[in-house]
Amino acid sequence: MKRANLAAAIGLLLLAGFIFFESRKLSFGTFRVPHTGFYPKILTGLLLLLTLSCLVQTLRDKTIERPTVQIPAEGWFRIGATLATLIGFALVLEWLGFLLSTFVLMILLLRAIEAPKWSKVIVVALVTAALSYGLFGWLLGVPLPTGVLGI
Amino acid sequence: MDILHNIAVGFGVALTPMNLLFCFVGSLVGTLVGVLPGLGPVGAVAFLLSLTFKMEPASAIIMLAGIYYGAMYGGSTTSILVNIPGETASVVTCLDGYKMARQGRAGAALGISAFGSFIAGTFGVVGLMFLAPLLGRAALSFGPAEYFALTLAGLTLVSYLSQGSMVKAMIMAVLGLLAGTVGMDPISGEERFTYSTLTLRDGLGLVPVAMGLFGVAEILENLVDVGTQSVYQTKIQGLLPNRKDWQDSAWPIARGSVLGFFLGILPGPGPVIASFVSYAMEKRFSRYPEKFGTGVIEGVAGPEAANNSATAGSFIPLLSLGIPTSAMMALFMGALMIHGIQPGPLFIAKYPELFWGFIASMYVGNVMLLVLNLPLIGIWVRLLKTPYVILFPLILLFCLIGVYSLNANVAEIIIMLVFGVLGFFLRRVGFEGAPFILAMVLGPIMETSLRQSLLISRGSFMIFLNRPICAVLIGLTVAFLIWPLIGRGQKGARLEA
Repeated sequence: MKRANLAAAIGLLLLAGFIFFESRKLSFGTFRVPHTGFYPKILTGLLLLLTLSCLVQTLRDKTIERPTVQIPAEGWFRIGATLATLIGFALVLEWLGFLLSTFVLMILLLRAIEAPKWSKVIVVALVTAALSYGLFGWLLGVPLPTGVLGI
Repeated sequence: MDILHNIAVGFGVALTPMNLLFCFVGSLVGTLVGVLPGLGPVGAVAFLLSLTFKMEPASAIIMLAGIYYGAMYGGSTTSILVNIPGETASVVTCLDGYKMARQGRAGAALGISAFGSFIAGTFGVVGLMFLAPLLGRAALSFGPAEYFALTLAGLTLVSYLSQGSMVKAMIMAVLGLLAGTVGMDPISGEERFTYSTLTLRDGLGLVPVAMGLFGVAEILENLVDVGTQSVYQTKIQGLLPNRKDWQDSAWPIARGSVLGFFLGILPGPGPVIASFVSYAMEKRFSRYPEKFGTGVIEGVAGPEAANNSATAGSFIPLLSLGIPTSAMMALFMGALMIHGIQPGPLFIAKYPELFWGFIASMYVGNVMLLVLNLPLIGIWVRLLKTPYVILFPLILLFCLIGVYSLNANVAEIIIMLVFGVLGFFLRRVGFEGAPFILAMVLGPIMETSLRQSLLISRGSFMIFLNRPICAVLIGLTVAFLIWPLIGRGQKGARLEA
């Protein structure tokens, strides 16, 4: 846990540094007339202080380190596969269209945890794509992309 | 007489066929969300928020509220039958509810939980009905300084009440406030942190961020270890509690209703805290505290009443002051603002039909939930057996469609995924998402009121101490900040002694 906390604190320090750098062009103004950069710069300072306090707390923590609940290799695989599928869906959605990309998304997600029978996967993916299209596209009037195939 | 007239107006709004339908849909979805693990009520409301664009404001808020209190009802079912809370406010119900189920008293536990929730939910609505207009009138005298002090105290209290480290909660709150600065400066209109992108010009969207932090992150966490949960196989009978059950539960329900309502008003996860405090209180009041945790009905009745009453209480600061006190209330604020409605002191006076329609719908919703939860318990139990391999792709698909449907913008899906991954990792090292989302919504109010206060006072921070309400709120903030330090000092001194 201590190593994870350290990594989080260092990551947050870097983030605070990045925000500080990015807000350099925003004018602070004065306390009498605060400008656009006034509030974000104060917040960045506060973030730096709190993160440093978190870092010091972690370094001074003398309690015996409890083992972190490790993510097993299969867990990493499931998370990675799911995220890759979701990013892929976002990238192809407008090009492939809603129906087709949802069908592919469902097939990949259904097989991300375990491997059910292909026939079951295809039926569930087909039904989900059709029902979600009917519910959101027709019933609720959500503008869903049709893609290159026009469906 | 005014109240009677207003209630009549409210029922006129709530009982229109369309609003009845949305109330039913909200209660049904809420119960589903409460029953099924994988998507909490915040994620569900975030998802449906995008679908409320085309609805009437009253229908939208009625449906979303139905999800909120429906999830509180439904969450108890999984706690009692599977020993897995459907949402955090039902964690405590596992302690005695599941033991009751193992003793063959699942029916009594589910029954008293539903009736207790109904009674407490109704009490909470009555309290909301009387207290919100009073507080709204008092808040009319609030200026920017009071609003700044109120948001500051609210965020500090949320950090103070967080489950883990207060410093970590405060870091999340500051990150949320910074996320709220993305987009146009609320006073000068100048762009900040937008990188000239259209998506960021209006600021980070509440829905993608909330769905990432609460929906996607939750699912990624569940994917770490996909265990098989077993529903306790028991014949559920005798859902109507017997005379002895009622005798044992009457006072816990009454105490839970009052306690939950007032704890719900305070910033923070009101229903969660209310259920834990109610359990501790019932144990203290009990003639047989040693039996708590072995399957006593008071351990189910009190906390279930408290968490339902708290849901009604948590609407008070939002509707009367315009200040959300939890992630869920932040989403409700978003839902109202989508329709151009600003909650706050003038809300009840400007939109009486919306306010009283919403109140009346909560009465109606509580009755619907009683009907949904008792006779349909068999259906909920069957749904609990849905394999996660089918459930999680469906939840993810709903999240994707929900976010895309906002502005037909793929970039918002990416924002959701980024916050999902961030939420997953941050949660694993003890950083909670609730202070972040709350701060993100409160951020623009806080910035505007701080800058306006300084303009009025010509740069003097004494404006926050010279005004009595402000001074009290700032005093409370300081107390919440130094209390943990005093506690740690005393603990250290005891250890050294």
